[in-house]
Amino acid sequence: MDRDLLRQSLNYHGPSLLSLLRSEQQDNPHFRSLLGSAAEPARGPPPQQQLQGRKEKRVDNIEIQKFISKKADLLFALSWKSDAPATSEVNEDNEDGYAIMPPLEQFMEIPSMDRRELFFRDIERGDIVIGRISSIREFGFFMVLICLGSGIIRDISHLEITALCPLRDVPSHSNHGDPLSYYQTGDIIRAGIKDIDRYHEKLAVSLYSSSLPPHLSGIKLGVISSEELPLYYRKSVELNTNSLESYENIMQSSLGFANPGVVEFLLGKLGIDESNPPSLMRGLQSKNFSEDDFASALRKKQSASWALKCVKIGVDYFKVGRHVDAMNEYNKALEIDKQNVEALVARGALYATKGSLNKAIEDFELALENCPTHRNARKYLCQTLVERGGQLEEEEKFLNAESYYKKALALDETFKDAEDALQKLHKYMQKSLELREKQAEKEEKQKTKKIETSAEKLRKLLKEEKRLKKKRRKSTSSSSSVSSADESGSSSSSSSSSGHKRHKKHRRNRSESSRSSKRHSANKASSSQIDQNRKEEFFPVPTNTLASFLNQKQEVEKLLEKQDRLPYQKKQVKEKDRCPASSSSVEIPDDFGGRSEDPRDFYTQASSSKTEKPYKSEKHFSSRRDSSDSFYRNSEDKVKTYGYRRFEKDTEGRKEHYRRWEPGSVRHSTSPASSDYSHRSVEKYKKYTYSGSRDFSRHEQRYQLNKNQGEYQIEDNYEEDIKTEAPEADGLTSKEQSESGVKKNLPQNLLNIFNQIAAFEKEKGNKPKN
Amino acid sequence: QWRGGGGLGGTLDSKSSPTCFLLVGVKLGMQSIAIATACTIYHKFFCEINLDAYDPYLVAMSSLYLAGKVEEQHLRTRDIINVSNRYFHPDSEPLELDSHFWALRDSIVQCELLLLRVLRFHVSFQHPHKYLLHYLISLKNWLNRYSWQRTPISVTAWALLRDSYHGGLCLRFRAQHIAVAVLHLALQAYGVEVPAEAEAEKPWWQVFSDDLTKPIIDNIVSDLIQIYTMDTEIP
Repeated sequence: MDRDLLRQSLNYHGPSLLSLLRSEQQDNPHFRSLLGSAAEPARGPPPQQQLQGRKEKRVDNIEIQKFISKKADLLFALSWKSDAPATSEVNEDNEDGYAIMPPLEQFMEIPSMDRRELFFRDIERGDIVIGRISSIREFGFFMVLICLGSGIIRDISHLEITALCPLRDVPSHSNHGDPLSYYQTGDIIRAGIKDIDRYHEKLAVSLYSSSLPPHLSGIKLGVISSEELPLYYRKSVELNTNSLESYENIMQSSLGFANPGVVEFLLGKLGIDESNPPSLMRGLQSKNFSEDDFASALRKKQSASWALKCVKIGVDYFKVGRHVDAMNEYNKALEIDKQNVEALVARGALYATKGSLNKAIEDFELALENCPTHRNARKYLCQTLVERGGQLEEEEKFLNAESYYKKALALDETFKDAEDALQKLHKYMQKSLELREKQAEKEEKQKTKKIETSAEKLRKLLKEEKRLKKKRRKSTSSSSSVSSADESGSSSSSSSSSGHKRHKKHRRNRSESSRSSKRHSANKASSSQIDQNRKEEFFPVPTNTLASFLNQKQEVEKLLEKQDRLPYQKKQVKEKDRCPASSSSVEIPDDFGGRSEDPRDFYTQASSSKTEKPYKSEKHFSSRRDSSDSFYRNSEDKVKTYGYRRFEKDTEGRKEHYRRWEPGSVRHSTSPASSDYSHRSVEKYKKYTYSGSRDFSRHEQRYQLNKNQGEYQIEDNYEEDIKTEAPEADGLTSKEQSESGVKKNLPQNLLNIFNQIAAFEKEKGNKPKN
Repeated sequence: QWRGGGGLGGTLDSKSSPTCFLLVGVKLGMQSIAIATACTIYHKFFCEINLDAYDPYLVAMSSLYLAGKVEEQHLRTRDIINVSNRYFHPDSEPLELDSHFWALRDSIVQCELLLLRVLRFHVSFQHPHKYLLHYLISLKNWLNRYSWQRTPISVTAWALLRDSYHGGLCLRFRAQHIAVAVLHLALQAYGVEVPAEAEAEKPWWQVFSDDLTKPIIDNIVSDLIQIYTMDTEIP
């Protein structure tokens, strides 16, 4: 309770309020003690006498007194205060904020006597006053005040209040001479009040800013121009010339009154808190409001539950393999509630399933950030980190891999996989280092010459490539080139070359060169010699992590898809950095050449066994590149002219042994359609591979491979062979299908594929003998 | 009754909509002006139309929504529904975003159009707030600064003005008059006298509004105090 305020009110309203307060607030312990003490003097004669004179004035306000007594606990609460700053403010010389009005007493027409009295009551040290110099003496100058510069706004221009500015308070403007010589009678001076003699009504002012309170010390004291006079004074002068003007008119015609932000501005000035608005209603006491009831809290809560609902739907989609729908739901959930931990974890899991390990890691990490105790987020993050580490290991980024493993271990010290992987990595790094040294020595001796030439060629080809790129920029040919199909990397342009025959050679060379140049750009420690030996080197890479399975899966997949994927190259290049696992990163073709020898053979033999020789003659490089070359050639099927030529060769070459082989394939084939193709040469070729892929499916069935994927393989091979432009959608769906099917069957899947390949190879190998 | 507006319709129960206005408005983070506009829209609407014809709570929510637009403090219907729902069903969970919710939202929007038509698109009002704040500044400069500092006149006046919107005061009196009356009551409550009032040619309240008379102030003050009698009914 604010005793002073209560006393003030009681003094004003008299004993009737006191008795009302007693009856109204008797339950309030604060008031009981207070009123007890306040009641004593109230009963005594002195206050009674004081109040008697006023009594007849207060007859009508019994209603108000009742109101006061009812609300006394709120009205006189200590917290019931404005938080306006107690410091005096400068009187503005513009009215951007609000309507600055002439002083109230000017409208009320209060006699000068009272104004003067009140001025000397209310003026304080440190206030700024503005006046005109009336006379200059040797001990200082006198000024007649015309208005006030800070603190209060009063109309004092007619009160003839003089103030003395002593010589010692006048700063000198030059090193010598009288400081007063600078001033003239009639100058408008801004000065700070230094001393007040309220009884004798005398003022002393100073021109040193030390006379002002600290927050006003920036204000320049001394001579000012008439433009610097406060606005209130100018308005007051205006009002004096036209005293008929009403307060309302002046206010409404003022610019500041129309300011749309005037309410906020003045609330701030008066110290009223709008975010915590005052009310005398008991039901509206903001201190009783629960934070939970506010709009933002409710919205947050609602959004969270809505997002969770979406996550649930998403998880259901995920369970039935509708990954795109699931992703949409997760994204929706995160749109609704950006920080939704469940949605982040679920999306991360989906990313991980789809092979976008980096994205998955991002999501998991964000989820853990928001909810460090989320167990699933931690678990998944560890697993994904190890997986990603495995990938990086295969990509030769051993140091990165190591950091991922370590990160996983930092998250969960007991995570065995990470520890194992880390140890294995360390062992392997040591071994490979030794191996490399040895190999490098050997290779250097053997290949010095070759490398030089190839390096030269490389330079030439890079130039050529630049030239081609320029050309290509002009032509918007959509046919794809081999190099981009295989590598879709950085230096080999993702845009395709034209299908001109004469470019064929260059193209192949280019892909060679870009391959090695890329490796350099990828900041690999390994030199090109080592690259050439990677086949041997990388064969024994430990591939027992899930990540490596994933990786291999994708390689095989990539083989199957690479034709379909051509239109997506650009996209993949973009994605490369974020999810190298799902795109064909730089290293994969090499890895492929090294680790998955079988698929390579499969391709070599399946699609171009016969044509290999004629192309070999064209090659400038060693047959070491066979795998990748055939790879290219295979993909080059798309390039029509080239593919067609080769195709003719293929069919020519194959006709004979196809015929020989035909009975067997027919026997294998379950499809009656295959016989339809048996007469025309073109179709024979088709059928040749087609039946081969049929063969696959047989194997697949034997190994109980995921059916979707089996179908996809058939479809893909089929399409590849009959040289249709693969529709875009096909590529997408097939990719998704295969990926969706992969999660659980992964090792088995791989096994299947390798088995098929092996079987096919065997057949192929047997074929010529037959 | 306290509701003003010519006494159309019956009285509201203790959870009357105007009360919910201020409460809901605060929890929506609305400014005083926007809440005042919402209340004015509401009161005006039920001046024109019998209270039984429409659900006052729906009208209240739509008024808030419309006021948010008028005063450029745009509110989202979802927030309005959430806070209102919470007000009527304390401790309940926020509504699910199902068809029921969207239906509620649609009815608010529909009702907003109804309000606009009933009010003939006159939804921009002169509120006493601006006047009151200027009066307070003028008065502050005439009063002794320590006396001003000690006495929470501005807070009290602001609170009284906000609370006045529980009733239909805003429809029956000029904004300036309400502002002066509110200020008068705040000064009275703390027993603060305007210096040299007795010697002045013109009383301070007359300065602020020429057409204001003492009886008008007394009327407004009396109405204002009346509004607080329903306060005790609010739990």
